[in-house]
Amino acid sequence: MAATEDAEEGRRPRAPLAALTQAALALPIVLASARAGAAQVGEVGFAALGYKERGLIKVTEPVLWGRLQVDDVWEFEASGALDIVTGASPELVTNLPGTPVQSVTGASINDRRRTAQLRAKRRFGDFSLSVSRAVSNEEDYHSHAFAIQGEADLDQHRTTLAIGLGKSNDRVGSSIDPALDERRDTREYLAGVTQVLSPLAVVQSTLTVTRGKGWFNDPYKSTLTFYPDEILPVLFADRRPDHRNAVAWLTRYRRHFPGASGTLQADYRLFRDDWGIRAHTLELAWQQDLGERWSIRPALRYYTQGAADFYSPVVPRPRPEVLSSDQRLGAFGGLSPSLRLVLRLENGLTVEGTAGYVHDAASLRLGGGGSEAFTTLRAVYGILSLSRAF
Amino acid sequence: MAALNEVQVHAPDVSAARSLAALAIAEVRRIEAKYSRYRADSVVSRINAAAGGAPVTVDEETAKLLDYVDACFRQSRGRFDPTSGVLRRAWRFEPGASIPGLRELRPLLAAIGWHRVERTPDTVRLPLAGMELDFGGFGKEYAVDRAATVLREAGAASAIVNLAGDLAVLGPHPDGSPWRIGVQHPRKRQVALAALPVSCGALATSGDYERYLEADGVRHCHVLDPRTGRPARGFQSVTVHAPSCLVAGSASTIAMLLGRDAGLSWLESLELPYFAVLEDGIIVDRFRSGP
Amino acid sequence: MRASLAVLALLAAAACTPVAPYQRGYLARPDMAMEPAQAGTAKALEKTYSAKEAAFGGASVGGGGCGCN
Repeated sequence: MAATEDAEEGRRPRAPLAALTQAALALPIVLASARAGAAQVGEVGFAALGYKERGLIKVTEPVLWGRLQVDDVWEFEASGALDIVTGASPELVTNLPGTPVQSVTGASINDRRRTAQLRAKRRFGDFSLSVSRAVSNEEDYHSHAFAIQGEADLDQHRTTLAIGLGKSNDRVGSSIDPALDERRDTREYLAGVTQVLSPLAVVQSTLTVTRGKGWFNDPYKSTLTFYPDEILPVLFADRRPDHRNAVAWLTRYRRHFPGASGTLQADYRLFRDDWGIRAHTLELAWQQDLGERWSIRPALRYYTQGAADFYSPVVPRPRPEVLSSDQRLGAFGGLSPSLRLVLRLENGLTVEGTAGYVHDAASLRLGGGGSEAFTTLRAVYGILSLSRAF
Repeated sequence: MAALNEVQVHAPDVSAARSLAALAIAEVRRIEAKYSRYRADSVVSRINAAAGGAPVTVDEETAKLLDYVDACFRQSRGRFDPTSGVLRRAWRFEPGASIPGLRELRPLLAAIGWHRVERTPDTVRLPLAGMELDFGGFGKEYAVDRAATVLREAGAASAIVNLAGDLAVLGPHPDGSPWRIGVQHPRKRQVALAALPVSCGALATSGDYERYLEADGVRHCHVLDPRTGRPARGFQSVTVHAPSCLVAGSASTIAMLLGRDAGLSWLESLELPYFAVLEDGIIVDRFRSGP
Repeated sequence: MRASLAVLALLAAAACTPVAPYQRGYLARPDMAMEPAQAGTAKALEKTYSAKEAAFGGASVGGGGCGCN
């Protein structure tokens, strides 16, 4: 009898509350709306990001998003963002002053990037399948991406397996060279597992493999190198391999401490690609409850990366096939402390403010050996986010 | 309904409060009269008297209530069954009563089965003589919801209707503070296990302490599984908070009928706040930290 | 590589104690979610850091590219 009972339990429909409520609604009774603790149907939200680099870039990015659950089986998500970038971006690395330095040509940019994403997810008992589409458009760059992801809940929701596939088709242009029109196509493969370790702890580990082919060069960057024994300098436009294969392994751990009313959040990501780049990201955060509505989250993020094989701030001799002086491909480390304050109200409104400081420098690289031409980056950002659950 | 029943209403003056309370009480009495097993002229008694005979015409309220019960029967995979009242004849929850054996239960089990009841949009027929419909598992909760509805329609905004622990709250106290509802300790009379803050919605409790027999250290309570005729095990009590008392009551009763693991799984799947005391005394408080 | 071995050790040594359905209360807390920030905050943060770093990728696919210059 026990075995058949268990089999029956597994097939119980996923929407018992909906079935009972629907039948109750047919009766001449008025259903009160229960507290916010009852099942949510969806949420809408708005966020704005302000980002400022020392004297250089300023970004504001309003983001709008919404999520809707229909019938306990379908879930839809949509989001849109508008990036407004003003300021100037480093375009030339020159060693005219003796050692290589970044120089900004003086042309200021005023870029707008529009992005939109749509996702639909359907539950089939303990399994779910989601498909998503993302587009990103700016004057000199267009991207469409498509992804499909499946998840399986096992062992009474203690273990969740996830598998995902993604495809992205980008078209790269240039605002200074109207003839430029190149493609870049990327495929992504994801596999992940989420495991509940105890009533107080959960861990998730996800592996993502990316294979990209096409145009990876930055059309706005180049390197200008003077040699002591030659009169004319060499100008080399940014040129990267026509493929990029990468692996990212992200592990996230959450552990709640009821005595302290706080949760430890630790994230670690290992990254390697066939451009020779090795990077580690570690973020540690503590989210502390301050009463029923407020919580505060100080966090520290450390990032370290090794240089790409073809990264060099000067053009070596003989001239190589590929070369880039983009310091984002160089060796450096970064420390970013941040603080978040969250207010949750009973009516489903949540207000979240995050402020952070980013400090990237060659000296911060793990184990030393940071790129000498790396210009230290100092930036601050603030994000304000509001959402309403209903 | 012989337990403590009360209606509390906040109103601009005493006479307004009294007339609102009277409305609510009148509605409760109406439903009690209509669906009581003890009154020969009630709808339920007429249906039971015609068991094995001709179909009985019922009004829309009764038909829709039976539709609701049908949904509960389905969602509980047959454990919530309004024809299980006949088990009363074998189970007497009085001092000195004995635990019935298979010999006493078998003929009663043969008369149980909601899926056998024949229904059309306005008639009900019990196919076998001896079959009975019992509204005891949901009648009180429906009365609470109806009383709350008439209060709301009469303009009350801060009131509570409480029929022996199954209750509905129309709104918080006039100063905005929630009503504090005590959860009865399943083993100690007059003691509350917890005080739950409720501003609106309904609360219903299913427990093994209202009527029971104790033998060899095992408690046999009045919540009986219609498929075996034996009492549900696994919980001392389950309290659920839902938008209506009907839903709260069915949710808590079905949880008890499903047993500990399946019952908790069921409660989690509803995503409603709940408070449960397991058979071994462990408390599961999902009232505040609910999903 | 040593970092990845440390991660594997954490996963292997994590004593998975049994968790009954009714003990899931803490796991449902918002700060126990894998993405504890709101959707808008999370997107903004990801963009902020990935625009300055070579590493990319995390827990989802299909996000599309970025012409970050």
